[in-house]
Amino acid sequence: MSFLEGFRFRRKNTPLHGLDPRVKFIIAISYTALSLYFIEILPLLITFTSTMVLIVIARSLAEWSRTMRGILPFLIIIFFVNLISVSRERVNYSLSMTLRFASLTSAFSIFFLTTTPDELALAMESSGIPRDYSLMFTMALRFVPTLSRDLQIITDALKSKGFELEKGNIVTRLRNYAYVLVPLIIYEIRRSLMIAEALEARGYGVVKKIDTPYKLKMRTKDWGTLVLTLILTLAVLSLKPLGALPQWAYLKLPEPF
Amino acid sequence: MIAIETNSLFFSYNGRDFVLKDINLKIAKGETIAIMGENGAGKTTLVKHFNGLLKPTKGEVKVLGKNTKNESVASLSRHVGMIFQNPDHQLFGETIEKEVEFALRNFGFKEEIIERRVKWALELMELSEYRDKSPYTLSVGERKRLTIASVLAYDPDIVIMDEPTAGQDAIQKEKISEIISLLRHKGKTVIIVTHDVEFVVNRIDRVLLMADGHIIAEGDKRDVLTNLELLEKVRLLPPQIPHIAWLLKEEGLLNEHRVLYIDELIKVISSWKMS
Amino acid sequence: METLVELESLSFKYSGSEKLALNDVNLRACAGEYILLTGPSGCGKSTLSRVLTGLIPHFYSGELYGKAIVAGYDVVKTPTYILAKHVGLVFQDPENQLFLSTVEREIAFGLENLGFKAYEIKNRVERVLEDLGLSFIRDKAPYELSGGQQQKVAIASVIAMEPEILILDEPTANLDPRSADEILDLVSLLVKKKRILAILIEHRLEIAAKYVNRIIIMDKGQIIADGDPRDVLLKPVANIIGIPRVITLFKRIQEIGIKLDKVPLTPHEFVEGLKLLVKTCDSYRNQ
Repeated sequence: MSFLEGFRFRRKNTPLHGLDPRVKFIIAISYTALSLYFIEILPLLITFTSTMVLIVIARSLAEWSRTMRGILPFLIIIFFVNLISVSRERVNYSLSMTLRFASLTSAFSIFFLTTTPDELALAMESSGIPRDYSLMFTMALRFVPTLSRDLQIITDALKSKGFELEKGNIVTRLRNYAYVLVPLIIYEIRRSLMIAEALEARGYGVVKKIDTPYKLKMRTKDWGTLVLTLILTLAVLSLKPLGALPQWAYLKLPEPF
Repeated sequence: MIAIETNSLFFSYNGRDFVLKDINLKIAKGETIAIMGENGAGKTTLVKHFNGLLKPTKGEVKVLGKNTKNESVASLSRHVGMIFQNPDHQLFGETIEKEVEFALRNFGFKEEIIERRVKWALELMELSEYRDKSPYTLSVGERKRLTIASVLAYDPDIVIMDEPTAGQDAIQKEKISEIISLLRHKGKTVIIVTHDVEFVVNRIDRVLLMADGHIIAEGDKRDVLTNLELLEKVRLLPPQIPHIAWLLKEEGLLNEHRVLYIDELIKVISSWKMS
Repeated sequence: METLVELESLSFKYSGSEKLALNDVNLRACAGEYILLTGPSGCGKSTLSRVLTGLIPHFYSGELYGKAIVAGYDVVKTPTYILAKHVGLVFQDPENQLFLSTVEREIAFGLENLGFKAYEIKNRVERVLEDLGLSFIRDKAPYELSGGQQQKVAIASVIAMEPEILILDEPTANLDPRSADEILDLVSLLVKKKRILAILIEHRLEIAAKYVNRIIIMDKGQIIADGDPRDVLLKPVANIIGIPRVITLFKRIQEIGIKLDKVPLTPHEFVEGLKLLVKTCDSYRNQ
């Protein structure tokens, strides 16, 4: 599961870590726009490299490289599948697709590496998404340790009844896990009913738009970064339609086939 | 004959912080022992070593003479039955009958024996009339009885109960008490993890007190449960009768404070009446 | 004293069930009372608590008969959201009533739901953290807390909404005795300080009896005893619940002719009572 490493938050003190998560999300989206808009190799390479610059600012190079190593199999598959299936300009197109995927992954890993799950939940709550949905996310997060504990206890109980989970071939083992999943699912469904009852008793659900001191507030640096990101992105995106993209950006690799 | 022994047992989940520190204990066959302490003392972590769910980080654990390091949970569980605290974590059958059969099937018992044992266990726990129903149609107390039935059905030599009286009313506690008596009568080794001091007074031989991963004290229940300072150390409240005896001793009205049962106290008090 | 709960001829049957979970219950309770509601499993204690919060009939369906007026509101006609401002309910399992990622946010949650303004929420949260001694764990996540701490946070989250009535449904079931004692003591303090009505559903009488000023015993959906703890626990019907050993002791020495002045609810009270008796005996003998 090492490719998930690039998506796990680590507590660090960098400009990116302190930025409002919503702005970071916009940055990731901007990179998505850039990655999808350009098909030319050099712009894509520049896009990808600039994400690396941000990773370095966030001092998360180690975790990031673990993720990039983790998606290497996918990158290879993308390259070769495109190589085989595309009819014209194979090498260039395959390279573009590969770079695109790499940039997207890299951009979103910036977001996840510098944002705590709680900040993520808070961002959702502060972004106008209906409370029912943002709260769902926050609560799902909060219950992760609880669920993992329940899973552990049920597995322990199952093993204590002489059931051997690890025995047999892959098919048997998958079937075995049903013995853990069924009680777990039932348990968590019943838990969610109790949670629903407790939510009701806490007056939840009537007031749709709440006023709370616990919401994200955009500060000057957040607005500044947001404006800068939008201007840069729009500027770069408008280069091609305005015919202002320099010649070297259209450079292509030689096609051997 | 030793049922369970541990030698310099240390355990840590993450390799750094030790949850069990230098545990040395010997539990003889046929003993009924209570492992007591506040939540977080390490009681459940300790008993999970007795059926191999956890293996020592340092030191060793021997169950019925076998070192647990070389045994699987399944092979140890054949002799060590564990009843977990929450019944809903241990229901694996679609019907109550299948639930009680579950362990018997896993251990490879023959069909006729399974049938016999299931019938016996259901009758013992007064669940026979529900045999074809889903476990989830039972009340909480009944589900607890079901978990006990499921373990007793395959007749392990050692029975471990984790907080059997948590959330139970007086009548249910009495029932559990009777089960423990039955197990003692059959010569089983019974280990009860609990913080219910009042419950322990009647059915237990020996008490082990734990705090912060250590065994702070162990001994005959009369010695341990009447030692208020010791109970205070492990953050347990003393049972009421020993507490009363201790207070009476403080007032100079009583010489012997190691009193456990109501009858003993009454005898002493009535003897004053004479004087 | 203000009557906060009025139940008259209250009966209830859950949908799909044949028997009455509540059978002709009559109850009156006022501010400042700390009531212990107890009885064997299935006697209707939890059902009663659900009626008091409006979860019956609004969350649980069934047939409800009789009258139930809580904090001046007719439970049947009032939505749970309104009742939540007046009746707080603390459940048995702390896990299922702590929804958010930190203690502070959890305490604020109920206030957010009721539509309070941000500054008012901030003030109340600070006050509650202070009052209940929870400031030092304000940023902790639920899984980082002990069972006792979790229940304290649950109580804090409910108290923050400043209800007149606080109901606790077996709050100590998963706690060790000392944590249980702390929780029940905390509720005692809240009753005295805030003049609320507290209804505690509990089995552990040795811990609870000393804090409460009224005990109600239920069995099979009916109230079979209701009154001062020292009276109720002596009644024969009390034998279906686990009466504290000290009371059994009191009854047994009474049989052999030793009568204490006051029914003891704790070991200390018993010993004090015995001391008094010994003193009067001595002084009588010395005359």
